[in-house]
Amino acid sequence: MARWRWLEQVTDHEQVLRLKLLGTVPLFAGLSRRQLGKLLVKFFEREYLPGETIFLEGEPGKALFIIIAGQVSICRALNEEEELLATLTAGGYFGELALIDDQPRFASARAAEASRLLILYRSDFEDLIEGQRTLAIHVMGNLLKTLAGYVRKSQSQRNGRNSTIVEQASENPGMISKGVSRG
Amino acid sequence: MAEGQTIKTPELSNSAGWMPPASIIWALVVAFVALIVYLSSDFVLLLLLSATVAYLLNPIVKIAEGAMIKRKVAVTVIYLGFGVAFLLTAYFVFPRLRTEVNTLSGNLPFFSQRFDEAIDALQNQIVANYPAADSLFTTREVRYEKLNNFIEQQVADLPALLSHLATIVLAGVLIPFFSYFFLRDSRRIVQFVLDRLPANHIETSVAVWCEIDRSVGRYLRGLAIEGIVVGTAAALGLAILGVNYPLLLGVVTGLANVVPYLGPIIGGATAILVTLVQFKSLSVIAQVVVLYLSLKLLDLVVIQPLAVGKGNDLHPVLLIASVIVGEHALGIVGMVIAVPTITILQRIAKLLFERRRYPTQMLDSHLNNRVQSQPYVC
Repeated sequence: MARWRWLEQVTDHEQVLRLKLLGTVPLFAGLSRRQLGKLLVKFFEREYLPGETIFLEGEPGKALFIIIAGQVSICRALNEEEELLATLTAGGYFGELALIDDQPRFASARAAEASRLLILYRSDFEDLIEGQRTLAIHVMGNLLKTLAGYVRKSQSQRNGRNSTIVEQASENPGMISKGVSRG
Repeated sequence: MAEGQTIKTPELSNSAGWMPPASIIWALVVAFVALIVYLSSDFVLLLLLSATVAYLLNPIVKIAEGAMIKRKVAVTVIYLGFGVAFLLTAYFVFPRLRTEVNTLSGNLPFFSQRFDEAIDALQNQIVANYPAADSLFTTREVRYEKLNNFIEQQVADLPALLSHLATIVLAGVLIPFFSYFFLRDSRRIVQFVLDRLPANHIETSVAVWCEIDRSVGRYLRGLAIEGIVVGTAAALGLAILGVNYPLLLGVVTGLANVVPYLGPIIGGATAILVTLVQFKSLSVIAQVVVLYLSLKLLDLVVIQPLAVGKGNDLHPVLLIASVIVGEHALGIVGMVIAVPTITILQRIAKLLFERRRYPTQMLDSHLNNRVQSQPYVC
């Protein structure tokens, strides 16, 4: 009993909460508690006020973001307006492509309400996986699954659009020739 | 709000109240730091050394934090551990080191005479083997005068040296004290700064901080490991060769190794001086020279790649230039901090230029091609 009380005294409960949240993030699924602990100490934390920009479309991507609390909108510029692509809540993550390539951000991220985020810088992540083969395999595998999901989603959307066009074309045969002549 | 819907771009809220432009804040911070450095360089040096100790110990604290142990508890346990280790070292190693220091200081009054004799013996050996070399050496009187002038100069500087000694003792107390708080509160300090930076610059700020952390941490840890390994190897090698004061010379070699380029020469020269006075023989000096050259080679081929890794990828010319500029600006301390400083500046410049380059070069082509890209990958 005394041992547990002693453990209770030295344990960082805030870190434990963050660790539990990190364990629920799909990107880190399959990691052991020890691996999650090693990963957790690499993260920075930042609070964002509603409407604050986290990053802008076209900026160099350098970090992965995980939402501890709040809501984040992922948007893309569309002429004068913005197209909302997704709204993410606690446990969600974004900016994951910064972990694997040097390309600019595809979309902007903005705090939809007061949010607390964990930030993982790419080089810190690379340093970690350099010496941790299992961790690297798990995270990269999860990242690939996420990317495969995006590809499928995009493919099905494109197929849906194509089938709509085909349906519309079969109903209105003149449409394709007009489209061709316009192109 | 449904996904795929279009929304008006919201005005960026700035609920932290009115803030002056970031450039003015940064200029004020830089001016303040420069003022502190100008007014109290000793205090800044003390803080730098404390931060160095904190950096060296930070990886151990991070391991503890990864095991969900409170940072405060981890830091306290580490300091207690180092306290015990220090007491054990003091118990086992210091008596021998003190004996060496006492013997050396006891022999100092006769040092100039013994040194003179050693030089004479060495000259005779060289002239016996190569008579033509006789013209290269100065007469005994000239050399004696130069040596006496040198010793007088050192004696004149003694009060200044003693005041430095007081600073060193004070530093011995204050550095562990400051570094304890640096280590305990570093996360809080970083958090404080992060929370006050403009939201849309966080990513670059985190990147800059991480690069600084990586470069400095790696460099300092590498330097410490290098100093310990080279110093220990030098002490062992000198003990095997039968040179006096091996432990003291090992400590000098290890500490001097911290100074780029000049350090190994200082360490080697000290050992050669002691060998010269002790043996008065060219062959033993040659052995010590070979020992120090082997150590340098070991350092370059094995220790540095393992300890420092790819920590600094500076061009050698830039490296040497930074060390020279550092020496001119801050002396030995400047030489030590020159490499991490120039590495940090290089990394920061790279990150900031990348940020400036992106919108002009990559954004246009990226936005033009986005029709083919995935829906919400960012």
